[in-house]
Amino acid sequence: MPLDIQAIRADFPILNRILPNGKQLVYFDNAATSQKPQCVIDAMTNFYENYNSNAHRANHTLADEASAALENARSQISNFFGAKPENLIYTSGATEAINLVSYGWARNNLDEGDVIVVTEMEHHADIVPWQELSKEKGVEVRYVPINIETFVLDMEAFEVAVEGASLVCVTHTSNVLGIRNPIEKIIDMSKKSGAAVLIDCAQGAPHEKIKFEDLGADFIAISAHKMAGPTGIGCLLTTSEKIQQMRPFMTGGSMIKKVTTDGTIFKDGHEMFETGTPRIAEAIGWGAAVGWLDQFEMKEIHEHIHNIASLAGNEMKLIPGIKIYGDPNNKDSAGAISFLHETIQSQDLAILLDEGGFAVRTGHHCAQPLMDALGVPSTNRASFWIYNTKEEVEAFVKHLRYICERFS
Amino acid sequence: MTNNWPENLEKIIQEFKDCFDSMERYELLFEYAKKNPNSLPIEEWDEENQVLGCQSRAHVECMLDESGKFLLKTGADAQIVQGLMAITAIAVNGLSAFEVAKLSPNYVEEMGLKSSLTPSRANGFLNMFRRVISEAEVLAEI
Repeated sequence: MPLDIQAIRADFPILNRILPNGKQLVYFDNAATSQKPQCVIDAMTNFYENYNSNAHRANHTLADEASAALENARSQISNFFGAKPENLIYTSGATEAINLVSYGWARNNLDEGDVIVVTEMEHHADIVPWQELSKEKGVEVRYVPINIETFVLDMEAFEVAVEGASLVCVTHTSNVLGIRNPIEKIIDMSKKSGAAVLIDCAQGAPHEKIKFEDLGADFIAISAHKMAGPTGIGCLLTTSEKIQQMRPFMTGGSMIKKVTTDGTIFKDGHEMFETGTPRIAEAIGWGAAVGWLDQFEMKEIHEHIHNIASLAGNEMKLIPGIKIYGDPNNKDSAGAISFLHETIQSQDLAILLDEGGFAVRTGHHCAQPLMDALGVPSTNRASFWIYNTKEEVEAFVKHLRYICERFS
Repeated sequence: MTNNWPENLEKIIQEFKDCFDSMERYELLFEYAKKNPNSLPIEEWDEENQVLGCQSRAHVECMLDESGKFLLKTGADAQIVQGLMAITAIAVNGLSAFEVAKLSPNYVEEMGLKSSLTPSRANGFLNMFRRVISEAEVLAEI
């Protein structure tokens, strides 16, 4: 059944916003963060208004309700991702999830001479932790290049790099190019080489149903805020086997069984890695977000985004001076289009687009190695999601063409 | 010197106030960027005169000229920033360092470009302006 985009838009109060310059907001910065449906806002407000309490800490009514809501959200979210609740570790987002793998698993299981494979299209969150680990422990970090003509990962180079690897870390979908990597093949090849696999699904989860147990990765990092959930929460999905191999890198409250002056016994399983007061409101909000998303088929969401991104990309290519990075016509493309104008600097272009009400991102997108590979210091990026429309894209292209004609 | 701008800056502010809309203001800024008489040549852009940030390159050089008056040269790859700094240079060049150190950036708001003062446009105009003020304070021995 086709998506009713106007009904979907009605769930997002912010989409009605008129900006201070009098323009209607057109939000094309979804790869940075998505907007939130009213049910997410209401769920978090309801928590703070009616049953705010710390969780797992007391025996009064509010504490019971908060604890139940936190764990109910865990069940909802893990179920949404095809995982068991005990395989979900709450984090502050995908960045912390990846750092948890680095500090919690890699530092205890990898040694000098071991090899970590990443790609040059990774977000910094999936590069810097491994560089730091390399400095600390002498592990080798190998970078798989992209093909700068087709903007896809060089799988021949990956095949070479994965030989003898201990850990492979790959983004599901590029936040710059919108390209979805062949993660099933990557996971398969990595496993055959004996490597553990981490998939950064921060950009993939808003566009595709991630089924943790089916995929077979050892670690999956996800952020809530890019998929209708609040900022400040995400998770690491991981196997029971890998949890057994991990040690906590943050210690203190919540994650202990017993503390004496002689030492501490930690809790088992995912509880060992959730230190301090949980992100209760955020978890409840994320639970509401996946509940909202569950009314749709993710395939329909992807198809809608792909259609408008293709339209945008094909129209933008016709504007003299505009260059597109990525391939919006690729059927797996997830709706992020990076672009530059040959003479209008990217920050100028973003500001002039903002004057028309269009919110796009400019900069290196926390992907400087990718910028180096593309030979540019920065790009502009328009990224679409479920509530964006064909009419918004047409208006955007019209305004972009006007800017290029007037300012180049 | 808040709201008591140098005469040549007053003329520029009025020029921007006379613009029909924001796009015309930005077009005028681009013109000021292009004809910047106090441009810092790209060959002289270095780490020392760079204003750091993530979205564009920006460079300032501040000194006293032979008559002891303030001299500002600017370079930026973003034309909006370059245009604003070109206007700033027109305003401050020839003043004493002490006078420059007291300057407020609010003339940008009077020009109808308030959004250029927002923190999110760091390494834009505001960062460069603050750098000019701090260098003027050093030159004025404040």
